[in-house]
Amino acid sequence: MEAEEGKAEFEASEIDYVSYGGEHHLPLIMKLVDQELSEPYSIFTYRYFVYLWPHLSFLAFHKGKCVGTVVCKMGDHRHTFRGYIAMLVVLNPYRGRGIATELVSRSIQVMMESGCEEVTLEAEVTNKGALALYGRLGFIRAKRLFRYYLNGVDAFRLKLLFPRPEPNYSGSALPTGDDAQGLDEGKHYVVT
Amino acid sequence: MADKSEAERGEDAKVSISPSIPSGNDTVWADVSSLFRLACNDLRSDELISGENFNLFAAMSALEIMDPKMDSGIVSTYYSVDEAIDSGAAPIPLSFDRTVDVQRVIDIMDHLLACEATWHKGGSLAQTVFSCIYLLRPERTSFHALLHSFCRVIRTTCNTVVSAVSDARTNEEEDLFTMAYGLPLKADGDDKCLSMLHAVEETISRQLKACKAPLSKRKVLEDVEPLQTNLDLEEGFCKAVLCRLRFRKHLYHVLTCMRRPQGKGLELAKKHITSCLCELDSMLKSAEFLRDHCACGTLEDGAEDKTTASGCQPIGFDSTLNSRSAAPTPPRAIKLLSWTKAVNYFQKLLHDLDIICSYSLDPVFEGALRFVVDFQKLQPDLVARAYIQLLLVQEGKLYGREPMFAVICRAALLPEGAKNHDVQKNETVGQLGQLLISLLRILCTNTAWQRRKLGKILQDWRIIYVQLELAFRKEFGDITNTSTDQNLCLKICKHILIWVEEQTYWIALRFLVLGFELELYSTSEYCMVYWYIYVILIKLAEKTHLKMMLSNDSTGRRKSKKKRDFVKDVGKDYQIPPSVLLLQCYIYIAEGLMMMLASLRNENKIFLCLGPFNTEQERFIQHFELLQKACLPDHASYFSFRETTAHARFSTLSEYNCFKDAQRMAKELRGNFANDPDRMAELRRIEQVAEHNCVALNLLCRLGTLEPSLKISFEFIHHPHFAVAAVKRS
Ligand SMILES: CC(C)(COP(=O)(O)OP(=O)(O)OC[C@H]1O[C@@H](n2cnc3c(N)ncnc32)[C@H](O)[C@@H]1OP(=O)(O)O)[C@@H](O)C(=O)NCCC(=O)NCCS
Repeated sequence: MEAEEGKAEFEASEIDYVSYGGEHHLPLIMKLVDQELSEPYSIFTYRYFVYLWPHLSFLAFHKGKCVGTVVCKMGDHRHTFRGYIAMLVVLNPYRGRGIATELVSRSIQVMMESGCEEVTLEAEVTNKGALALYGRLGFIRAKRLFRYYLNGVDAFRLKLLFPRPEPNYSGSALPTGDDAQGLDEGKHYVVT
Repeated sequence: MADKSEAERGEDAKVSISPSIPSGNDTVWADVSSLFRLACNDLRSDELISGENFNLFAAMSALEIMDPKMDSGIVSTYYSVDEAIDSGAAPIPLSFDRTVDVQRVIDIMDHLLACEATWHKGGSLAQTVFSCIYLLRPERTSFHALLHSFCRVIRTTCNTVVSAVSDARTNEEEDLFTMAYGLPLKADGDDKCLSMLHAVEETISRQLKACKAPLSKRKVLEDVEPLQTNLDLEEGFCKAVLCRLRFRKHLYHVLTCMRRPQGKGLELAKKHITSCLCELDSMLKSAEFLRDHCACGTLEDGAEDKTTASGCQPIGFDSTLNSRSAAPTPPRAIKLLSWTKAVNYFQKLLHDLDIICSYSLDPVFEGALRFVVDFQKLQPDLVARAYIQLLLVQEGKLYGREPMFAVICRAALLPEGAKNHDVQKNETVGQLGQLLISLLRILCTNTAWQRRKLGKILQDWRIIYVQLELAFRKEFGDITNTSTDQNLCLKICKHILIWVEEQTYWIALRFLVLGFELELYSTSEYCMVYWYIYVILIKLAEKTHLKMMLSNDSTGRRKSKKKRDFVKDVGKDYQIPPSVLLLQCYIYIAEGLMMMLASLRNENKIFLCLGPFNTEQERFIQHFELLQKACLPDHASYFSFRETTAHARFSTLSEYNCFKDAQRMAKELRGNFANDPDRMAELRRIEQVAEHNCVALNLLCRLGTLEPSLKISFEFIHHPHFAVAAVKRS
């Protein structure tokens, strides 16, 4: 890849990916997310994720500098065990080189191995980059959420369904309940 | 977290436990202050204790106190409305210079318009219209007739709109809209707003007349005191104020006329809409004058995002005053629409309302469905959608006139007499009526919500079909003698059942095509989506056809065998109804697109669904889960999709080109729909899609696989649901 204006020069092999390792990683994650997403998250939101699901959060380092992160959770949601990607950020000069793809793939892999049936997240309809990235990973746009973000922009609920062990999909599952808009339980405030 | 002194103070305070949430079976309220204090001593800053029920919502609701981005309790300018008033934030009069006073009132009027439009577009009432301090203290304005009457009509209009939207209530979109946070939406005497407005309007039109009168006549009119002191500007200001007042008056009439029962006020509402639009034009024209004579000196650039016509900042507004009542939403400074955008919004709203008012109240259900669907294409906002719903469904009847059973009978092509049959007393038949009402209401909601709801009610429509079958059988068992009544009853049952099926497929189709409008499908999924649309369309055409044949049979006008394969096997003496042929057109297009995409996948290896974690089958399951659960249609599965498409090749497509058939059929149908402009436009669109894709398909057949550098994309340039292939050399 040619060095564009403002792009970092590095080899893919120079990027180290590590799982969340404790308190010292928290400020790195917070700084990255605060910098790239306009929505204010309180420290409790971060703690909520990284303390309960440290193995689902990953950081990408280039020569000791944190350049990307993914923060996730998983749990029961209306009779399904599902993973949820809450935040994904890569520093601008490091974008377009597969770092986000690698970060998310690691989280998804752990979710799959932990028995999740599906993975979900929300993304702004205008966030073409993120939508393409998740599309390549097998996510579908399951629904559109009208004026989901407080800036009035619609969001897509993206979903990735893992293959089921049994070959036949039986249609006996219960119909899903009403759609509470929200980041699983609450309204999601991520705005990019 | 609370600091130490706070916690200590809590010790002395008597905590009376009178929670607004009552204790439940497994829960009681307990005072945890002392435990909390102990915990505070152990915790360092930013640390967190999480209990079992500590969820994400709780985490995200935590606020960092004194962070202006999160803490809505933070005081920005004033603590309270009273403090703001005491500090002179909303003086009355607005100036002792009467010219400046008028200028400022006009600015308030304009800014309120921007606020109102922003509210309609999704802002909260508290942060928009009711950021106006004058509105918050209704009694204060009473000495300023102009401002007072204007404030009254604003409050009354907001109140009218709130009640329309809450009466139409269908989803959470309305929650924010109608939340009035204890704002003074209804002040004493607001019901008389029109007569006050009228009096003020009278006065100002006399002032306008007086200043325009030739000098000779002025004497007679001398007793008329001018609006303000600068006589050169009198005409301009009078005009600017008048069109603003008149706009409010007519808008209020529009909104109330439209709420008259059974659409009886629609004619009158249309007249007021015309007047409203005319006053909006005058308001736009007044902008130049107001800019030239504004009170706040010369302006910098960027008048485009100003909230007033003059470009001046209005006085008497503070959007943070209500922010504490607007909690727990973080007090984002919401961006108001500009005045020009607000005027444009109202123009659009009025045009949308005009379409509703022009509607013929077609007693045929299908007509009503097409009306809402076409209306939604204009992307109406919440208020217009509330009004169309209130018109369609009133007191459990279509337009408040037609009982649902009569509507169903007509839709099922039953003879007039059927609607009085006793079978309507059957409970399940009553439920069917309810389903129809909720379908109509759903169709009036925003398309994102609408699609989700449509997906869910499919199941209800399947269930009601089975229940109706049972109910009819029972109903039937009760009639012992073979009377004419029994014949009619049998007929009603047959017709209604077919119609329910037809309607169910119609909903399924709408569910699928809305996915395109909402951009839910990626190009690699188009193939399966068109396959699904294709199989649903076939069923829909079949049921529609059956329904029509049934009614022909029974009216005795035509006797014809029921044909299974109605499309290919057209008898010489039998004419397929145009509405079925139109569906056949869509079938050809969907089939053509599905096969073209399948060939591209099979031969060019593009638009494949490949991913590291799952396969195409999972995408299929997720997209069509709701259809599959409702068995729409029976036996449609991922495997049947694969079977149909796995062997598609350009070589076979070139021999049988569906697009050609679609094109031919659309042309032939023109004669049948000559007096229906909407259908004619639709036929034209279908023809364009067919023609365009025909060319693209020929090109691909000739050089598709030979030239791997071809760039192929699918675009919705002619039709919102049927794509056309764009083939480019790269
Ligand atoms: C969205 C975001 C996380 C993507 O980060 P990223 O590291 O650039 O993502 P990736 O590199 O994995 O993928 C992006 C592009 O790089 C390409 N790419 C992937 N691997 C590559 C490689 N090895 N070499 C070159 N390019 C590669 C991908 O094809 C993709 O290209 P395209 O989307 O233009 O077709 C980043 O843009 C970001 O932080 N945005 C702001 C925050 C945000 O929007 N978060 C998502 C909220 S849902």
